[in-house]
Amino acid sequence: MVDTPRFSFAKFSKRVNSPSLSILAVLLGVGLGLMRFPFLQHLKPIGDFYVALLQMCVLPFLLATIPLAVRSALTSGTGGKVMSRLAFWLLLTLLAAASIAVLASTVIFRIKPLDQATTSRIGALFGASADQVDIELALKPQLSAMARSARESGVQSLVPTNVFAALSSNDSLGVIIFAAIFGAGMVWSERRSGNSIFGALKHIQTVCILIFEWFNLFTPIGLVALIAPQVAFLGPDVYAVLAPFAYAFIAASVLLLVIPILVISAALRVRPQTVFAKLLKPLALVVATRNALVCIPSALEALKDELHTPSEPCDLYIPIGFVVLRFGPFIHFMTATLFIGYLMGRKFTGLDLVSVAALSFMSSFATIGVSGLNALAPMAVVLRPFGLSYELALPLMAIVDPIVAMFRALLNVALNCVIPVLAAGRRSPKVSIVPTPAE
Amino acid sequence: MTAFSAHAAEAELSGPKDSQAIIARGIIRVAITKFELPAFHWRDAKGELTGPEIDLARVIGRLLKVGVEFIDDCATFDAVVDAVATGRADIGLSKLSQTPYRVLRVRFSNPYLTLHQAFLFDRIFVGAQAAGRPPEETLRKFSGTIGVIAKSEYVDFAERNFPEAQITELQTWDDSVESLMNNRVDAIYRDEFEIRRVLKKNPTLNVRFGSAAFTDLKSFLSIAICDTCVRLQEFINYQIAEYQAPFSLPSLLASEAGK
Repeated sequence: MVDTPRFSFAKFSKRVNSPSLSILAVLLGVGLGLMRFPFLQHLKPIGDFYVALLQMCVLPFLLATIPLAVRSALTSGTGGKVMSRLAFWLLLTLLAAASIAVLASTVIFRIKPLDQATTSRIGALFGASADQVDIELALKPQLSAMARSARESGVQSLVPTNVFAALSSNDSLGVIIFAAIFGAGMVWSERRSGNSIFGALKHIQTVCILIFEWFNLFTPIGLVALIAPQVAFLGPDVYAVLAPFAYAFIAASVLLLVIPILVISAALRVRPQTVFAKLLKPLALVVATRNALVCIPSALEALKDELHTPSEPCDLYIPIGFVVLRFGPFIHFMTATLFIGYLMGRKFTGLDLVSVAALSFMSSFATIGVSGLNALAPMAVVLRPFGLSYELALPLMAIVDPIVAMFRALLNVALNCVIPVLAAGRRSPKVSIVPTPAE
Repeated sequence: MTAFSAHAAEAELSGPKDSQAIIARGIIRVAITKFELPAFHWRDAKGELTGPEIDLARVIGRLLKVGVEFIDDCATFDAVVDAVATGRADIGLSKLSQTPYRVLRVRFSNPYLTLHQAFLFDRIFVGAQAAGRPPEETLRKFSGTIGVIAKSEYVDFAERNFPEAQITELQTWDDSVESLMNNRVDAIYRDEFEIRRVLKKNPTLNVRFGSAAFTDLKSFLSIAICDTCVRLQEFINYQIAEYQAPFSLPSLLASEAGK
């Protein structure tokens, strides 16, 4: 009798999500998109279905993972140290990212000075996209219309008054804040009464990871179905017209993708190719879905289980960092501001550049929980202090947004992944909160 | 002479001028600007007057059963109103807006098109004035130089609506656009159709110049009618209600002449 090898789901899932297959799916998506076949628009519902599957489990996963991470930090006794290291490396990463964005933009805009033909084509593109006046306003608005609605703003808007409403409305930041407070409460409660739901939460987390593994079988199809229609949506002429911006933003994005991989490689003492291969799944996933939240489980898996980064900084930082620290919009707003300045003939001093970076960073928080073109609205806060027209920038940025949004999401994941690795210091084997997928 | 025309001739002699006098004369005199107003009236390749305003005048003439004589020597918009006010013409039809000053001199029909008043402004000037705030408030209290067509209703509108601004009267609309491009004025002021048409004709301008429409400032484009022509006014209002189709902002912008 011949022994037939037993089918292993985890092995099969790993094979389906191998780096080579992911790269192939991304390239296929881009290739099909560039060919602009009419049938590509029919792939969009398949892509949307795949994103919906992934999103389904994200919030329960966060609800389980964050209290566990907070508990781990509070009980290990090293929480304070880890937090301060995370804050230090976050600040350094922000400074480095801003410098690279400024450098890439300045170099590209110097190499390719604006000519009359490009201005004309950009103007034509703007005219075609904005089939109305830039601003509609009343000369004498009624006081009632001027009165601002008394909506919650600032810190108050971060606190979910009803966590179930926050869950049902996909208010991920609200859920994270609740989960962090819940985690701290769980530790105090455990110390007082000895009762704990630690085991139950761990089980919920394991179940979520198992479900993610099932859905990961669709990743290659999902990547093609999501990327191809996005690329096909825009013709090559649009890129040609907005080339200076596209070159600057893509150059900054590529640098900010390569540098974290090299930094992680140096910190963990593994080859850059290995780091890239391990991070490829969350990176490809975020390019396709443009949603950093759905990549949290795969990023944690890549950093902890595959690259063996200590769990504590990863569990503490990744879920919060992916939601709150929006490196993508930060870099995008900076590059867009420099581009609009370049278009309108505005020169920036050193102090201006620092202000652009600071305003871009602050504005990036306003994109939390906001998707689509609404995520471009906070750019007004960066542009206007420099006398630059948001009304000009918005339609131009909206034209290229289907592609720029992919890079924004990519930066969110790539740069956020480097911070816990640096904060963890040298590699040390530790028991992971997220269990290794069972074979 | 028919009984009808005899009656009309009698009416002309016995009372102030109105539709009966025009019918008796057999011709309605229509004042228009001597310069073209693309998408409203212009001359075709053969030099014939054409456009929706010309068609509207011809419809009025046909329904009155009289001929139409165009008095096309008016150098300004105000000159069209003057022609009607002084009796040189019975009606005036050249994208005329109602203004308080004009209303005191002639009658106006109901509007055949209502357009928002609009600005084409220098983005850098407005951005600097706004100092980090949204541009709306700067536009409302515009304190730069506004270019308007001389002897047009927009001189009156600009003085009334933007008291802090300096008003520069320019001979033609093309002069106004050129002044904006050469930084001699900070904004030019006219209706939304003309502002959008400038940007449509020359999209490059979109980069340097922004457009803004004031939702509560309207240009009521109407036909100027002789001061005593009460019945003619009623008659024209009725015809306008029936003949509005060619006068909409999208259709005018989409028309060949509006491009």
